[in-house]
Amino acid sequence: MTNSKERVWNALNHRGGTPVPVDFGATTVTGIHCRIVEQLRKYYGLADKPVRIVDPFQMLGEVDEELQERMGVDLVPLFGRKNMFGIDESEVHEQVTPWGQKVLIAKGIDMTPDAEGDVYIYPEGDRSVSPSAVMPEGYYFINAIERQQPIDEALLSYQDNLEEYALLNESDLAYWKQAAGKAAATGKAVVAGFGGTALGDVAFIPAMGLKHPKGIRSVAEWYMSTLIRPDFVHALFEHQTDLAIRNYEMLWNTVGDQVDVVFTCGTDFGTQDSQFCSEEVFRELWLPYYKRLNDWIHTHTTWKIFKHSCGAVLPLIPAMIDAGFDILNPVQINAKDMDSKVLKEQFGDQLVFWGGGIDTQRVLAFGTKEEVRRQVMEQCEILGKDGGFVFNTVHNIQANVPVENVITMIETLNEIRR
Amino acid sequence: MANLQDLYNAILNGKLEQAVAVTQEAINEGISPTEIINQYMVKAMEEIGARFEAGKAFVPNLLLAARAMKGSLELLKPLMRDKNTATIGKVVIGTVKGDLHDIGKNLVASMFEGCGFEVINLGVDVSSTKFIEAAKEHHADIICMSALLTTTMMYMEKVVQAVEAEGLRDQVKIMVGGAPVNNAFAQKIGADAYTSNANQAVQVAKQLLAAS
Repeated sequence: MTNSKERVWNALNHRGGTPVPVDFGATTVTGIHCRIVEQLRKYYGLADKPVRIVDPFQMLGEVDEELQERMGVDLVPLFGRKNMFGIDESEVHEQVTPWGQKVLIAKGIDMTPDAEGDVYIYPEGDRSVSPSAVMPEGYYFINAIERQQPIDEALLSYQDNLEEYALLNESDLAYWKQAAGKAAATGKAVVAGFGGTALGDVAFIPAMGLKHPKGIRSVAEWYMSTLIRPDFVHALFEHQTDLAIRNYEMLWNTVGDQVDVVFTCGTDFGTQDSQFCSEEVFRELWLPYYKRLNDWIHTHTTWKIFKHSCGAVLPLIPAMIDAGFDILNPVQINAKDMDSKVLKEQFGDQLVFWGGGIDTQRVLAFGTKEEVRRQVMEQCEILGKDGGFVFNTVHNIQANVPVENVITMIETLNEIRR
Repeated sequence: MANLQDLYNAILNGKLEQAVAVTQEAINEGISPTEIINQYMVKAMEEIGARFEAGKAFVPNLLLAARAMKGSLELLKPLMRDKNTATIGKVVIGTVKGDLHDIGKNLVASMFEGCGFEVINLGVDVSSTKFIEAAKEHHADIICMSALLTTTMMYMEKVVQAVEAEGLRDQVKIMVGGAPVNNAFAQKIGADAYTSNANQAVQVAKQLLAAS
């Protein structure tokens, strides 16, 4: 009988022969919406308590030890001290969501809707400045409010977009040391989201944690900048990577191999049926910086590197491999040309597929139990051959997914892993 | 003399300042807005759309082309008021209620506008009431709805039902799009068409209007 860590490392080292490892909740892109966490807890007969929100941006609920056990989870998260809004996560309070669910959420977040039914979030919880995010009525998670100031090309500096990145201090390192120790003590594999390493991720571009963001802060303006302001983007990535390597050096010295996997970048390069840039632009603009950090990690640590990108990224996968990524997530199997058989055949010995266990845009959300079962079986067989696969849904399990389908998915997994 | 081929190239390559400069020059020389739009602007937008669909241009290219096209169109619009400049059709477009994603929707709107449609862009988080009010007010030929989320796409069906309940269904075509949406879903909710990108949306809209 193998343990979680062995299962994960066998998968990471492309060794077959052990059951497929399972992730639910180890990252902010492999998690479960708090509404579904509550329903799962009820189904498994676990204590009726408010769900702890571990990522307020997407309203992901904590998959705690009890639930991990029921769901056969092999990996645990190592999240930062502050959330996307720059709000400290160490203190929580009970709040009721607009859909009437009791949750425990960071103290700086007040979930009381305004007269229009919208919930506003403020950078660092400071209500004296403009809100940086909103959960509109009827929504199940939070959206950035873009606070793009007029751009003066003559004054624009990469430093404007570097404001949210800084060197770690003693107190940060003390937090990571304590949190990593706790995560490692579970005996499960640990995935760290240290932050600061995502290059041009549009989830971070609006800088929801900053009170007065400068530079390029609109998502559309950012996308255009990759073509019309290449020098600006190069300079930003260059300095961000310098900082990242210095921070990673300190983090490795602090937590060492208590961490197994680092989730470094969630920049999406794929749309439903295309990419956000050509392979040429990827190789010119992103690859040198990715490679510099990834090479440093491979040379100095035992960590495996996790890259998230939604969408139809098949044409970019060779460049991602050249950049040194070990793991690709979420493997959006229903996007154009993302056939798991082709992916496994072409790249299975070079990349670990983490995700792709079931399509979340249709099958998990709207399919029948039989369809869920069939797809989980198929994907595990294809992607799980000879290791190189960590089971997860394609991205987070959303608020509208029928809990019966999630349970069918877990039962099917248990059957396969027996 | 204004070289309008430069306008075509400026829009295609997303050069805002150049597009505006050439357009201004052409206006000063008395070239008709209709000629500038139909012979150069529409053709440039059609070309960038075709490249996008073929995987040779990407979202940033499309955003830049749309921005250049809009800069040029801003100069031309005042000259077209009160003149019987017929558009291909009127499109009311919005991201449905509960959904705030607008990059894809705005690209579709720009493509429509650049290809000779009149566009009433209602923005994001648009209720069925707002869609219907706008469709009535502007005598829309087409309602276009966008959604990025599986949790919000269901709202499209409510809009279709509301359009039927208002007795407008025979007068307006309904088109849907967005990452989780597909043809089967469009049929199921009673929409007239689904398209997967901005270029297709324009082509299908033309077909729908030609057939009606």
